[in-house]
Amino acid sequence: MVKTERLHAQDVEPTPGSAWLIGAAAWFVPGLGHLLLKRWGRAILMGSAVYVCFFAGMAMGGHMFDLNPSPGSSVLFQIPPMIGNLGTGALYIICWLLGVGFNDDPEQAARATYEYGYIFLIIAGLLNYLTMLDAFDIAAGRKS
Amino acid sequence: MRHFFVMTLFAALASVVLGSMGKDTPRDRWLYGLKVFAEFMLIGLVLSWILYFVP
Repeated sequence: MVKTERLHAQDVEPTPGSAWLIGAAAWFVPGLGHLLLKRWGRAILMGSAVYVCFFAGMAMGGHMFDLNPSPGSSVLFQIPPMIGNLGTGALYIICWLLGVGFNDDPEQAARATYEYGYIFLIIAGLLNYLTMLDAFDIAAGRKS
Repeated sequence: MRHFFVMTLFAALASVVLGSMGKDTPRDRWLYGLKVFAEFMLIGLVLSWILYFVP
């Protein structure tokens, strides 16, 4: 390691353990990370955006993904949208346990809003990943 | 009309999250959120009109 790299490595403060816990809480329950940080405004705005996006997707007849491929499909095609869906944390896990939103129902797929629905469900997860990163950065002291 | 409503809803939700985490001061966040919302809507409308004429 050259001298400048060693100096930079000494400058970087270690991430506190609480930041990882806040990040995990923010992923598991959308908005909880900011609530724990007492950032009420951000918690309400960002958390409610994720919930509205998720429930709008469900109301539109959206479909969520797990590792069970539909007939004629590969499990590899399930993984990227599943990573997006997983971003909603407990919402995804509860739906998975209850079997809600995972069925391949032809009537549901025939709805005009089906495609919008499953995109909204993925977007809800991706928005919650952003919310989680924001809470983590605040907890780690990297932003105000 | 339904498609436009869904696009507006998506733009609003995404701009809320991006605007909330994007800048440092509340005023800058509002401006950034509005800018992101306007960009989503404008680009969505332009793309939809382009695709309307594509056979």
